[in-house]
Amino acid sequence: MATNVYMEALSPTMEEGRVVKWHKREGDAVKTGDTLAEVETDKAVMDLVARADGVLRQVSATEGQTIPVGNVVAVIAAPGETVGAAPAAAPRPAAPPGAVSGQRGPAPGDGSGERGAVPSVATPADATRVKASPLARRIAKEAGVDLKLVTGTGPGGRVTKRDLETARRGVQVEARPTAGQPTPQREVPLPAPRSQEIVSEGPAYDDVPLTQIRKTIAKRLVTSLGPIPHFFLTTEVDMERAAEARDALNKQLGDQGKVSFNDVIIKATALALVKHRACNAWFQEGHIRYWNEVHIGMAVAIEDGLITPVIWNADRKSLALIGREAKELAEKARSRRLQPAEYTGSTFSVSNLGMFEIDQFTAVINPPEVGILAIGSIVQRPVVMDGQLAPRRRVRITMSCDHRVIDGATGAAFLKTLKQMLENPLAMLL
Amino acid sequence: MTTRVLEVVRAGLVPYAEGLAWQRSLAQARIDRQLANDLLLLLEHPPVVTLGRNSRAAHLLSPVGLDVFEIERGGDVTFHGPGQLVGYPILDLTGHKPDLHWYLRTLEEALVTALAEIGIPAGRNPPYTGVWTRGGGRKIASIGIHVKQWVTWHGFALNVTTDLAQFERIVPCGIPGVEMTSVQREMGEGRGERDLWNAALTSVIHGFETAFGVEATVHDEVSRGAAASHPGA
Repeated sequence: MATNVYMEALSPTMEEGRVVKWHKREGDAVKTGDTLAEVETDKAVMDLVARADGVLRQVSATEGQTIPVGNVVAVIAAPGETVGAAPAAAPRPAAPPGAVSGQRGPAPGDGSGERGAVPSVATPADATRVKASPLARRIAKEAGVDLKLVTGTGPGGRVTKRDLETARRGVQVEARPTAGQPTPQREVPLPAPRSQEIVSEGPAYDDVPLTQIRKTIAKRLVTSLGPIPHFFLTTEVDMERAAEARDALNKQLGDQGKVSFNDVIIKATALALVKHRACNAWFQEGHIRYWNEVHIGMAVAIEDGLITPVIWNADRKSLALIGREAKELAEKARSRRLQPAEYTGSTFSVSNLGMFEIDQFTAVINPPEVGILAIGSIVQRPVVMDGQLAPRRRVRITMSCDHRVIDGATGAAFLKTLKQMLENPLAMLL
Repeated sequence: MTTRVLEVVRAGLVPYAEGLAWQRSLAQARIDRQLANDLLLLLEHPPVVTLGRNSRAAHLLSPVGLDVFEIERGGDVTFHGPGQLVGYPILDLTGHKPDLHWYLRTLEEALVTALAEIGIPAGRNPPYTGVWTRGGGRKIASIGIHVKQWVTWHGFALNVTTDLAQFERIVPCGIPGVEMTSVQREMGEGRGERDLWNAALTSVIHGFETAFGVEATVHDEVSRGAAASHPGA
């Protein structure tokens, strides 16, 4: 019996393919696995492969022709078989992406028959076949669920989409001891203690495999603190007037957004960098690149690490705009929707742990940048002003400097400008 | 779940025809399940022009003195030559995501990540495939792939210290007016060619690890085809 050759979808977003070359001609004998034609989509060329043995007939697509996914482009007829009228176009939806894999290579004893009709994702290694719907197989494959472990409730014990969803919910509940943590590999429970020692419940330790992002962070940061000669400068800044300015701004903005202390600090940092180009630089092998533009990387803590999305040209943006962008980037970072272009290319970074009630800390430079600011909490401290003790909102800012580019005095001069701007926000208008 | 392994082979300078036969045979071995792991060949070609399946003769402006190959990858005409880091990932996409568009975008992401690591801000330039310096400025890497039964071959070409004048002999990728660039041009003078090459090689491997979620084991190629003798898992 004849087997249709369809334009296959090699991506859920592929709608059509252009036949660029036929490898077999009308009347040629073909074997399962033979390349019949090449099809191009985007910058990819894929082989259209024979799914049955026989003779190629009714080649209906010419080279250069674009064919919608799911349409018939030829027929493989059994040897000696006469094929009747051309089959109707688009008789079935495109095979789901996962489906084609199972038909890799010739399957022993399965050389004939309508192999294209029922897609299956069972790999050759899958000796014991589980009954399941194609949709269920795809979901299982994508979720990494072993179908053999799922109880099927469909006809004849067939695993359905619903069974899988039930199974996956079950698995998730069991396998998540702490929200947000990768599932740890628990050790075998400890043997019962011999004496009356204090024994905490549960294992002594959990081994958690490194996730990809942790590995990347590790790689990036050891290229920092190791080879980069860091030194640190701390200053305490009075934030009373910055707070007043911020409150006034927020009153004026109303429901058009809010400006945070962090936004004020980002803006002041950017403006101070314009005046101190020596700190707005990249250290590169053989040269120092002093940037004329100021792009501030803003460290954002995410579930499994941290990432620094960039506020471009922060010196030239209004506080309101910085506030909007910072909020948007932080949300994107937390939902892992940041594009690489949104977190690369900063010229200086700011890390803020104020919300975690950290008084002061030091941050690790994000190479090739040469400086980063670590911002602590804004807290009320007793300060002597005009001979009187007064409670003032103060923040401690620590700058990490790459000594290959910035010297102590250079960093101190930059910090002094930053301090002046924050203590007298009107200076930002100068 | 164990992390998938990517066997990276640093092959050095390989004549185009030899590289083509090599990657075709490795891809077939991967299809036939004779290779346990995905592979990434990293190499350099002597000067050559290749025509993808979408090529138009008019895009080859001045072929004098160059070898020209017509091949099965996607895309238009391109140039390969010394100083260009060519990568041929032989991946079984069923082990990742059987989706060609996902693969193209992830390949781009790997290169963008690699460039970020060496300090070059870059990104995509939709609707074109490939990698551009930030803001769609200049094209720094080209992509053209082939896939059979979900196994990929061909791949990308990243200009590291490529002689950019060579691109004037073609209309790269069939996009008239495209300006080509290289890592060397973006980074400015001051770093030796060897140094740039090694930095690019290392960061491309890191980029693949991050974008594809794989663990790279790096081999300096001893005898070509040795990788193909791995028995299947």
